[in-house]
Amino acid sequence: MFTLVTGGAASGKSEYAESLVMRLPGRRIYLATMRPADPESLARINRHRLLRQGRGFDTLERYTDLAGAEIPAESNILLECMSNLAANELYDSEGGGAESILRGAGALLARCAHLTVVTNDVFSGGAAYGGDTLRYLRELARINRALAERADTVIEVVCGLPNVLKGGNPL
Amino acid sequence: MIFITGPLLAGKQSYICGALGLSLEEFSRRAVWDVQELAAGEPDLPALADALAKREIVIATEVGGGVVPTDPAERAARESAGRLSCLLAERADTVVRVCCGLPQVLKGRLPC
Repeated sequence: MFTLVTGGAASGKSEYAESLVMRLPGRRIYLATMRPADPESLARINRHRLLRQGRGFDTLERYTDLAGAEIPAESNILLECMSNLAANELYDSEGGGAESILRGAGALLARCAHLTVVTNDVFSGGAAYGGDTLRYLRELARINRALAERADTVIEVVCGLPNVLKGGNPL
Repeated sequence: MIFITGPLLAGKQSYICGALGLSLEEFSRRAVWDVQELAAGEPDLPALADALAKREIVIATEVGGGVVPTDPAERAARESAGRLSCLLAERADTVVRVCCGLPQVLKGRLPC
């Protein structure tokens, strides 16, 4: 099963996605995609670690090449966040672009019991983009649409509340 | 009139083409898109909305979700774009919001 969770910055999408995964029986793996590059990213990573404390997640860090992640069979994966992973795959020297992400998602789905992916709505703040920013937006939008098409359930989180875009309300 | 809105690059055009079985050529003939760009500097938004509402399919990108722009012209353009979308939704028989390629009918129902 595959659930995609989207929402704006600080919309409560992480907490919501975590609460979904907490309801699943079996092993829980947190697939962290943010590379700890500076004090701000470290602070953000620590905030999320504290949120997950005591919730029974094993954290696995993976910055590119999802397909190569060593995931225990039949585990429940929470992948966060697609916007970071997309940036890594597009801009890192070892990155493989959007195709690497879509191939990787397929590999995870084949191995795990339930995949939950958190992505980011960065598309509602205007249309006046160009250059590298527009290229990034196009790729992330393409990834989001492809994942939404493949997902069983797609949820947009607004103020911490689920707006079901596809499938039934899982809560 | 069917009014389609949603975030940038959400798949609004692909969605309506798929839903109504339109070719790209038919879409170009029957739809008008990026209408949020027409709102900037338009003194009479209701008249613009009336004119657009005569078309079969009208598409606007949501642009009001970010920080208030510091530039006065950008601020005014964003304001007008939002107002125009409200006026179009009022005039529409059907309003669909597309997010990640997925439609949500906000008003009426699709004729298919």
